[in-house]
Order: sequence, then C-alpha cells, then structure tokens
Amino acid sequence: MGDLLQEIEAKIAGAKATTAKQNVGIIREIADGVARIDGLTDVMLNEMIDLGHGVTGLALNLDETEVGVIILGDYTQLHEEDEVRATGKLLQVPVGKGLLGRVVNTLGEPVDGKGPIKSDVDYPVEKIAPGIIRRSPVRQPVQTGIMAIDAMIPIGRGQRELIIGDRSTGKTTICIDTIISQARLNKQAEAAGDKEYRPLYCIYVSIGQKQSNIAQIIAVLEKADAMPYTIVLDSSASDSAANQYLAPFAGAAMGEWFMDHGMDALIIYDDLSKHAVAYRQISLVLKRPSGREAYPGDVFYLHSRLLERAARVGEKYGNGSLTALPIIETKAGDVSAYIPTNVISITDGQIYLETDLFYQGIRPAISVGLSVSRVGSAAQLKAMKQVAGQLKGDLAQFRELAAFAQFGSELDPKTQAQIDRGKRITELFKQSQYSPISAEVQIALIGAIQLGYVDDVPVDRVKDFQNKLTEFLTTLKPELLRKIAQEKALGEALTAELKAAADQFKQTWK
Amino acid sequence: MKTSKQIKREAKRLFRFCLVNGLLDEARTRQVVQGIIDAKRRGGLALLSHFQRLVKLDSARHRAQVESAIPLPEDLRLSVQTGLARTHGPGINASFVQNPELIGGMRIKVGSDVYDGSVRARLAELEKKF
Repeated sequence: MGDLLQEIEAKIAGAKATTAKQNVGIIREIADGVARIDGLTDVMLNEMIDLGHGVTGLALNLDETEVGVIILGDYTQLHEEDEVRATGKLLQVPVGKGLLGRVVNTLGEPVDGKGPIKSDVDYPVEKIAPGIIRRSPVRQPVQTGIMAIDAMIPIGRGQRELIIGDRSTGKTTICIDTIISQARLNKQAEAAGDKEYRPLYCIYVSIGQKQSNIAQIIAVLEKADAMPYTIVLDSSASDSAANQYLAPFAGAAMGEWFMDHGMDALIIYDDLSKHAVAYRQISLVLKRPSGREAYPGDVFYLHSRLLERAARVGEKYGNGSLTALPIIETKAGDVSAYIPTNVISITDGQIYLETDLFYQGIRPAISVGLSVSRVGSAAQLKAMKQVAGQLKGDLAQFRELAAFAQFGSELDPKTQAQIDRGKRITELFKQSQYSPISAEVQIALIGAIQLGYVDDVPVDRVKDFQNKLTEFLTTLKPELLRKIAQEKALGEALTAELKAAADQFKQTWK
Repeated sequence: MKTSKQIKREAKRLFRFCLVNGLLDEARTRQVVQGIIDAKRRGGLALLSHFQRLVKLDSARHRAQVESAIPLPEDLRLSVQTGLARTHGPGINASFVQNPELIGGMRIKVGSDVYDGSVRARLAELEKKF
C-alpha cells in the first residue's frame, strides 16, 4: 500500500507542469547546414539544441560570443532571428533487438516503411570506450566464410580489422559475405538448438554511399535471409554532412547495447574515408583551422574514439564483444596517404585488396603478403590452425619463386613442387561473391591440399576438384564434417578419416 | 596591417576598460567610441563594429523582458525587479510587456535564461507529457 501511494505521488508530480529554467538563443546566421546562435550561455558541448519546427541540432562550437550548431534535419524550415532552446540532453539513439531486420537513419528513425521501431532503451551516440580493466583478450573467431581470410588473416570477436583497397576491389563484398556467413551460422545453431553457440549480430553502417548500392545490398541480404540478424544504418550521399558525421557513432551505440548485454556484434563502417570527408566539411564550415589535406587537426581522434569502442569485455562485465570492420578507400593503392595511415595505426590489422590481383582473376583480391591480423591464430579454431598454419609461409615462398615459374626453365624438383603447390593454393582461395564456405568444409579442403591430394590435379581443374570434393563431403560424409565442427581440432583419428574420405573421392574423380 | 584577430582582441580590451564593478559604464563607453572615431586609424570601423557587438551582447545579458497577459500592478512589478536583482545581481533593466497570448501568468527572459510560468507554456508541456 505504501509503494502504491509513492507511485501515485511520483506520477502526479510527473504530470504537473512546473516552471523550469530554459536556456535560449537567437539564430544569427544559417549557412551550409550550420547555424550560428547568439545567447545559449549555459549550453554544453555536444548538447542537443531544439531549433524549432521539429529540427534538432548539436552544439559543436562554443565560442566566446556565439555557439556553432550543426543542424540534424531540414534546415529550410529555419529563419534568422528564430528562438532556439537548449534541451540539456546529449544526442541519443534507440537501441535493442527491435532494430534487427530494420533500415534506419542516423537518428534511429526507420526508413524502410515497416512501421515504428520497438525500442525501450536509448544509448548516447558519444560514449567513452571501455577501460582497460573491463577488457579481455580476443579468443573467439568470426567465421567470415571466406577461406583466404579465415585461414591466413583470421578475425576474432572484439578485434578491429581494417579492409583497405582501391575502388571496386571487393571491400564491401567481403563484409556482405561475412554477414551472410554469420546469419547462416546463427540459423544453423538456432535450428539445432545449440545453447553454447553465441550468435553474432551484424550492423552495417553506410556513410556517403549511393542509395542504389544500399538498395542492392539490402536486396542481397534479404535474398540470403540475413536481415533478421542485421541492422542497416543508412546515411547516404544525399544526407547532410552532419548526419554522415554522426552515423558511425550511432551505429557504435547500437553495437554497444549488444556488447553490454553479453552478446556479440559485428559492425561494418562503409566507409570511413567518406566519414572523414564529411567531418572535414563540418569543420571547415565551423571555421575550425584546417591541417594536412584540409582535414581538421582532430581527424585522428575522430576515428580512434570510434574504433576504440569495439572491444571484448571480460566475464565479469557480461563477456560481450563488438567487432569492427572499418573500410577505407585508397587512391591508386596509396596506403601512405593521411587517412589510411591514421586508421591503419588504430586497427588490429588490415586486409589489403589489390586491383592487380583483382584483374588477374584472384577474387577476393587479398594481398597475403601485406595483409595481417594482429590477433592471429589466437582467434582461430584449433583445427584451422593445424591445417592452415604453414599456408602463409608457403605462399610467401611461392611469391618469391613466381618469377621463375614464368620462364618454365628447368628447376630442381623441390622448387617446382613449391611453385606447383603455391599455384594450387592460390586457385583454391578464389571464391565467388555471396557464397561463404563453412568452417568444417574449409578445414577439410585445406587439409586435403596440405596432405598432397591436389598436387596431381591440373591447375585449371582445381576449382572443379574443390566443388566436387565439397559436394562429396557434404552429401556422403556429413558425419566427418560434423565431427570436425564439434571437436574443432584434428586429432589423429580424424586426420585418418579425412585421408580415407579423400582417397575414396580421388578414386571416383576424373 | 591589423588582422581581424588583433582587432577582436583590441575590442575586447576596450570593452573590459568600460566595465566598472562588473557593469558597463555609459560614460566610459561613450568616451571610447568617440576616441576611436577621432583617432581615424586604419581598421577603426572594424574595431567599432566588434566593440558594438560586445556592448550589444552585454546589454542583452543584463536586459530582462517580463511578459504578462494583463498589465501588472506596481507592487508586483517592484517585487519582480527585486527578485531579479537578487538572482542575477544588480544592473538588470527590466521592461514590462503585455502579451495576451500567454493567457495568464508571466514569462521572464533574462539574457539567455527564460523562466516561463505562463498558462500557455504549462498547457503545451502537459500536452507534450500526454
């Protein structure tokens, strides 16, 4: 009875209208998506300002005599001499599982026409990254489904791995493949009722992309039935620079909700080069001093505070994780430009895509020599580590000897064998778009090649061999694949079984 | 040649000179303005415009506008003025304006702070809450 009375009192107090102090200002000037406001003496940095007509802004420049506010919304409604109010709140976005399967804009408003978002919680867009004590080492793998990555440049849950390359080299494709692969694994685990499997939810943040591209990506994800595990945050090229600047932070807030609640999430920032350009535009219009390439002085801090929010938190704090895959577009393969070097130094490794490899037919066009994952095999399945451990070294040797292969001159058998093996491995790692390969099939294939079963297959028939072997294993040896998936390590018995299966297949294959 | 930054700094210095006990002294302000005009130096006009802006902002900070639906009686006006002096310090110039749109109550704007106790504002707030 006492609680009920207190509740009623609180509700009445909440319903009463009180006279509170508000802080107001007058718009002195509006141009280029930025409003300069006189007054607003008590405003704080990054505070939301109510500009009237349903438009909000963010106070970014607190000068001596005026406040510079970036406008998040339709600035055509605003006039000089309009009165604006400080709200006393920071910018927040709705978060939670209600966002899965939806396409939203930077402020969390739905743009897919499927009705309002069901969300009870709002998270602030700008948040300080988890501290050192809260973190724990990255141990669980992210199965991207792309053999070249899972074998040689493995990504772990909680890692930041940069995907860097020129235009049209397949950066977005790698990310979409990862989303599709994770959705598949999530569905399999759900169907099998596997309680131990931790699903990975994906957030795709598109910054400054063409809307036709985003529509195509959504269509691909819907076709692969990956949308129920994905949030698409759309801040396309026609969006204001302010919205493009805030989009990655809003996405990170959505990912942090999963991390704080003991779940795993993956966030893709496509791409951060356009994000830096949007931030440059805002800074120049706010008359902040410009530095190298006209970027403002704190463009490094812009990306470092964003990417530091991706982490793996410890058991005590829920054991959740947020993995980040930022994308950077280089010009003419120049990774020593300003923004690429900034982001390379922030992330835990990079996947470097080269146009030359792309046009040679090696797709995904991953440069194995320049790509690195600083978390490495700590985040790989044990079985994968066993079979793929030497691959990087083998391919490195192959690249050195590749020049000799062109001459076709008489080489000693060992060198010839290395070149042959290298060619076949390269052929094996070619993979088509939107067709991720499961971990156990990858392990079986790489195991087969390392055990020498592909050495006598002509190079142009390796792909056919791979497809037929995959079919053979999935239809006739599902038990073997299931064992590899369960045990996650290749013991002697399992290796022997794999050899037997491969022998059986070789007999039937022509 | 003076840059705009130097001119701004100079204007700020002159403005601070015009402050006596934290309030703007009219005599000194007039003296400063006349002095700049008489000196006829380059950048004088820019200096004057910056100085004018600082004076305008300062007077806005010390100006209180009290809006009410009906004309206020003298004793109420006096109590409002003493209340403002108590919360915002001396030197507040209060102006009283009639605005029937408020329906009832008062809306006081001091500088950038607005205390809106009018019936219109409370109705709007209730509307938002429900």
